[in-house]
Amino acid sequence: MASVTAEKVQEVREVTRIERIGAHSHIRGLGLDDALEARAVSQGMVGQAAARRAAGVILEVIKEGKIAGRAILIAGQPGTGKTAIAMGMAQALGSDTPFTSIAGSEIFSLEMSKTEALTQAFRKSIGVRIKEETEIIEGEVVEIQIDRPATGTGAKVGKLTLKTTEMETIYDLGQKMIESLTKDKVQAGDIITIDKASGKITKLGRSFTRARDYDAMGPQTKFVQCPEGELQKRKEVVHTVTLHEIDVINSRTQGFLALFSGDTGEIKSEVREQINSKVAEWREEGKAEIVPGVLFIDEVHMLDIECFSFLNRALESDMAPILIMATNRGITKIRGTQYNSPHGVPIDLLDRLLIISTSPYEEKEIKQILKIRCEEEDVEMSDDALTVLTRIGMETSLRYSIQLITTANLVSRKRKATEVEVDDIKRVYSLFLDESRSTQFLKECQEEFMFNEIGESETMETS
Amino acid sequence: MASPWLEKLKKAQKTCIIQDGRRKIHYSFSDGTELSEEYSVKNGELIVRKWRKKGTLGGVGNWDYEIGEELVPRRLDSEGMVESTANPIFVRKDTLTNFQWRIRNLPYTIDNYIVTVSDDNQQIIIKTKNKKYYKKFNIPDMERNGLVLKPENVQIAHANNTLIVTYPKPEEILKTEKQLQQELQKMKASQDGDVDCRPS
Repeated sequence: MASVTAEKVQEVREVTRIERIGAHSHIRGLGLDDALEARAVSQGMVGQAAARRAAGVILEVIKEGKIAGRAILIAGQPGTGKTAIAMGMAQALGSDTPFTSIAGSEIFSLEMSKTEALTQAFRKSIGVRIKEETEIIEGEVVEIQIDRPATGTGAKVGKLTLKTTEMETIYDLGQKMIESLTKDKVQAGDIITIDKASGKITKLGRSFTRARDYDAMGPQTKFVQCPEGELQKRKEVVHTVTLHEIDVINSRTQGFLALFSGDTGEIKSEVREQINSKVAEWREEGKAEIVPGVLFIDEVHMLDIECFSFLNRALESDMAPILIMATNRGITKIRGTQYNSPHGVPIDLLDRLLIISTSPYEEKEIKQILKIRCEEEDVEMSDDALTVLTRIGMETSLRYSIQLITTANLVSRKRKATEVEVDDIKRVYSLFLDESRSTQFLKECQEEFMFNEIGESETMETS
Repeated sequence: MASPWLEKLKKAQKTCIIQDGRRKIHYSFSDGTELSEEYSVKNGELIVRKWRKKGTLGGVGNWDYEIGEELVPRRLDSEGMVESTANPIFVRKDTLTNFQWRIRNLPYTIDNYIVTVSDDNQQIIIKTKNKKYYKKFNIPDMERNGLVLKPENVQIAHANNTLIVTYPKPEEILKTEKQLQQELQKMKASQDGDVDCRPS
């Protein structure tokens, strides 16, 4: 009997593929109540009550959608939850408001100028809600088959069989479609719609005929009837497209694929102007509605002076999104100049910003965050071990202690224990150095490393 | 008295070329829609009629075939998803006196198909008893002339894995088609390879 259950578990694991866990995957919102007061522990957020409240106020401004071109700077030491707050805002906004997240260093590329990259990021964060007739495919998945080539490399081949109550059709799948089907974990028995023009897949629920497959079903599984009639239908749908998407559609004939690959190149400013006036026209006719979204630039001190002056200008446009920036720098040099400025951001731009600051976590909060991460990573940890880990977190950094969770879990699994004990933590603490111990070590035995004979005084002038 | 459809075609900007034994006519209408027709030079049969509409968000759309078959290579990677070639293929292929549809790759015997006309007499519905194929379609020509379908006129045949649905063209349609042909014959067609070039 036991072997049967073991087999079953194996099967379920195969059906729902294990997702990789990201650093901020536990965050599902800002964790505020209706009065925008921060709850102590909610939606994966812990502490930072003032900063979260401030972010909540900004969120209301965004939802109202009236004011364009506001900018917010989240400043704080490393590991105090700046990115977490931005992610929380993105989650709270929902999928209908465009949220673009880039890192400051992403815009430096050989193929695209800095301002083009920034303009694209801006336009990706402005949505246009418009009614459009599109061709959709709506049906129940009968079979999905994805073959990897025998050699291990090369393109995957896929087939998807869909049916309605009246008919059945087989589709050949391209590379991108295979990827998005796997990402959405589409399985046989799901009722899905595919937007033919954009390739977007929406899961409507599971078929009633599959209501008895208890194993692959969560509490939020919705059951729907198998669609009737033809598989392909023309439907008027209201959806949000970003200005960038409209740019791409109008600048090249290669279709939506350029959006996936990001290989859009530079888009001519004439095309953009044309689209701006077109959108303004739709807005006046009542055909479309502008949805200002959010552009989040992490590590904003990586931008240089040209980018900052571009931002200054771009924020004045009435089509500008809400700009959120984050930095962990204090008073430092503005990139591309010799001048120092708070957060490495020029004073004139700083003057336009609302600044939210985050403060270091307290012991209690660190413990709470570690607990949430343990749950997220599916790690059982004894109370003593958690206390020890919290102490480590206090003395070193939150990130370091979070990394110890995964490693300690592996160590405890190797000794076939179900729970992480203090000894496991001690073990990994001795195995992996944190930043301050590493510095200490280097100070002590610097002489034994390579290139050390040059000596301190002769270091080259690099600036 | 000419039908509104004929008027619309007369008003459109037209270009004509004879190529590969086909008389190809391209219409562009004032709303940006394009229509392309190809007639056989031999017997005047309409081989292809395709439409291209401007998308709501701009950009050039794909050709939408009303008559004839799309003969472009399958671009699986840029389309993302393409119907497999093993599926039934629905093609309208008119003769001079009949509307005709051919659905290839349908191996089931003729008693499997139920072909009816919808209640509002606008659309023909093809159903299969084994629930493998279903298609609902109208005849744009009939709609443009404001005509309704008569259920007793629909005929079906099945051979070589192909289901053939035939509907005879009514008198009115034959008349407008004849008028249109006379109109088109008046147009000067440039021959293939003979490019109209007048250096100034």
